[in-house]
Amino acid sequence: MSTEHEQILQAVRQVTAERSNGALLSATQPHADTLHFVVDKKAMRSVADGLFNQLHARFLISVGTDKRPLSGDFGILHVFSLDRDHVYVLLESPIAEDDLRVDSITPVVPGADWAEREFQDAIGVHPEGHPDPRRLLLPDDWPEGVHPLRRDFPYNFRPPAVENVRPKMRETPAGASVLPMGPFFPVLEEPAYWRLFVEGETIVGCDTRLFYNHRGIEKLGDSVLTYDQIPSLAERICGICGFIHSTCYCQAVEKAAGIQVPRRARYIRTIMLELERIHSHLLWLGIAGHIIGFETVLMQTWRIREPVMWLCETISGNRKTYGMNTIGGLRRDLPNDVRPELLSTLATIEKESIAVHNAIVGDSVLRARTEGVGVITSESARSVCVVGPPARASGVAIDARIDHPYAAYDEVPPRIVVQEAGDTWARVVVRVGELLESIRLVREALAALPGGPICAEINAGIPPDKVGVSVVEAPRGEAIHFVMTGGDNRPYRWRVRAPTYANLQALPAAVMHGTIADVPITLGSLDPCFSCTERVETIDRRTREVRVYSRAELLRMSRGNRLPGGAR
Amino acid sequence: MTQPLAVLLQCLLNVAIALLLSPLYEGLLRKVRAAIHSRIGPPVTQPYWDLLKLLGKEDLRSGGGAVYSSLPPLVLGSLLLLATLVPMGAAAPLAFAGDMIAVLYVAAMSSVLIMLNAYASGSPYASVGSSREMMMALSVEPILAIALVVGAFKAGTLALGGMTAFQVQNGPSISMTIAGLAFFLALQAQSGKLPFDTAEADQEIMGGPLVEQSGPRLALLRWAMWTKQLVLAFLLVEVFLPWPRFGILPVDLALSGVKVLVVLLVVELVDVVNPRVRIDQAMGYFVRVALASLSALAFAVIGK
Repeated sequence: MSTEHEQILQAVRQVTAERSNGALLSATQPHADTLHFVVDKKAMRSVADGLFNQLHARFLISVGTDKRPLSGDFGILHVFSLDRDHVYVLLESPIAEDDLRVDSITPVVPGADWAEREFQDAIGVHPEGHPDPRRLLLPDDWPEGVHPLRRDFPYNFRPPAVENVRPKMRETPAGASVLPMGPFFPVLEEPAYWRLFVEGETIVGCDTRLFYNHRGIEKLGDSVLTYDQIPSLAERICGICGFIHSTCYCQAVEKAAGIQVPRRARYIRTIMLELERIHSHLLWLGIAGHIIGFETVLMQTWRIREPVMWLCETISGNRKTYGMNTIGGLRRDLPNDVRPELLSTLATIEKESIAVHNAIVGDSVLRARTEGVGVITSESARSVCVVGPPARASGVAIDARIDHPYAAYDEVPPRIVVQEAGDTWARVVVRVGELLESIRLVREALAALPGGPICAEINAGIPPDKVGVSVVEAPRGEAIHFVMTGGDNRPYRWRVRAPTYANLQALPAAVMHGTIADVPITLGSLDPCFSCTERVETIDRRTREVRVYSRAELLRMSRGNRLPGGAR
Repeated sequence: MTQPLAVLLQCLLNVAIALLLSPLYEGLLRKVRAAIHSRIGPPVTQPYWDLLKLLGKEDLRSGGGAVYSSLPPLVLGSLLLLATLVPMGAAAPLAFAGDMIAVLYVAAMSSVLIMLNAYASGSPYASVGSSREMMMALSVEPILAIALVVGAFKAGTLALGGMTAFQVQNGPSISMTIAGLAFFLALQAQSGKLPFDTAEADQEIMGGPLVEQSGPRLALLRWAMWTKQLVLAFLLVEVFLPWPRFGILPVDLALSGVKVLVVLLVVELVDVVNPRVRIDQAMGYFVRVALASLSALAFAVIGK
């Protein structure tokens, strides 16, 4: 390690020691780029303040873990990142079972808002001094005091629903009226409920309720599935950035266990990740056009996108959800004969994307609709810890591919696209720039693709009680997977944070004082991706009977043969 | 043939054109839109099937009251009345009953009825939509008025037939060309096309005034909107672009029909290559168009 790197680590150690004021319980370095501090919970806020506001570390996520079977208490862990210096800082406090409270860090780290509400719901540790300690992910009819991520909560347990509950929403400001957006709304194809407080057409505030479709994926990961099965589930976290999540999970485990992934596998991961970015950005561009009524953009960009899907199908057998990742590398090689098709498809996409880019840049009406709309200031982006294109469009030059290089990005580094304005137009420009950059990256990675094996041999098992943090720059921003290894061939704790989780928290400030017409495109310009389900569950309102339809049944129904029973 | 019967037959002709051909024009426009999208698009007859389907569907009502339940037929009715006041291939059948002033009133009537209907539905999206509809009407109707006043000034009559006759006789002039252009720009908004479909704005306010309409009521409102774009395009063609005129009704009518199609195709092209503007941007734009169209009046005064 270079002396510069040593100096940074030393600075972090020093700040932590000063700010914890004698309450530092342990300081370790599990990996070259990871520092792990355990402090008494009294010192949590002060140390977090030092890391965030003094060292300008970025807050990534909080992980609440029920460690009672291991150490008798709960653990709250905040993950920070020093992006320029390629360092993760883990700040942990043990929380005794008889006093389930911890000082909230949200007052000093605004971006920790949802993360802290989430561990309050999941394991029942209350963040004291949190400005908005309402429920985040549990349904409104979930009983108080039942916390699903505790170890003694079986994954398939369904607590009895509480009757007569409503979401706790904010008071409507005096003089304003409420315009609801969602949970079903034309440009919000996924379940989220926004209450816009409007005076005429002007937004004077908003409130939100999300997580209508929470799937309990983390719970499955630490109680049912094995290390090797989780990549399949991780890939299904998102219908668009599936490969990103499976890569991110595999990398976290590989890091925790010290597994070296073969170079060829790292290159192929890079190629697939960039292909995913290409089709995701084209998809986004189409949706953005659709949101402001520009259907021609939607139709044309999706036509341009389609060959990428075919290409992925040629490589992996699937348009989406490739199923290629496994811990230690890949399960499927990139066939050599796909190379000509890949290159010719890239050439076509590049040509057509440039045409779209020129058409968009020259469109004055489009600019009038997006310039100065939904501004996220650089300060706001930093304090709310916005990631990905929205951060880069606000002048915050972060990119996980550069800040924490993974896969083959250390050998084929991307050029970062940054804009300063922070408005919707800037986010359009950043994404279109990244689209062209991704095409270049795929070409470079393909040219430099080395031979050799595609998966590491793992002879010893994965050791318990190790931690691994992994980030992947998804098209929407940085995805984070945190893994703490366990003893029974599965993680003890697996924490996932998708980029939208960070970015949606910036929306209230971005739409403030704008008009109703600007809300959908501002929301759309964050490229939000809520959870999706791949099965249908219905509940009969009279008998409360739950039934799950299989794919075959749904197919039969869609072809016109009604099934007996079930809800209509 | 007695006079009233002839008028009645002419009225029926105009109403039939408006009612029966407006879905066909819509179908043709959809084909063009699809071609620009790189799609095949639905068959040209699709709008007829859409209407049939909607007419057969359940009528779900969010509000009650006489206003809410009676307005969609009145909206369509007001536009059919407009059709009888507008020349189509020949002088307007009800020309003796109403001149351009009546036309302006009846054209505005449909917007007002749609607004009333939306307010009666009680949906917040509908009320945002109708307030936008009102703002659009307030900024676009004056342009129609100015354009027609230029025609009236030139021809020295308030009757639309007189304006057509004057145009046929005297050929194009600077003032009428500017007025026609202004009318054309206003037509984009009047027919609810992008970039000025802010009042419906599916992605923002879920169709605005249409959000609580379903089944037959939605069918009537859709039909009314297609009728409106067709009738106003006829008005534009007949008053500002009447040449050549042969004086044979079927030929003149067919020729007008083709010109209307061309006008609507241009409207559709503008629609397809533009995103939706905000209501404040739309109003600012039409204020500028209105001011520019005043120059047509100035040219008319100096006889150009």
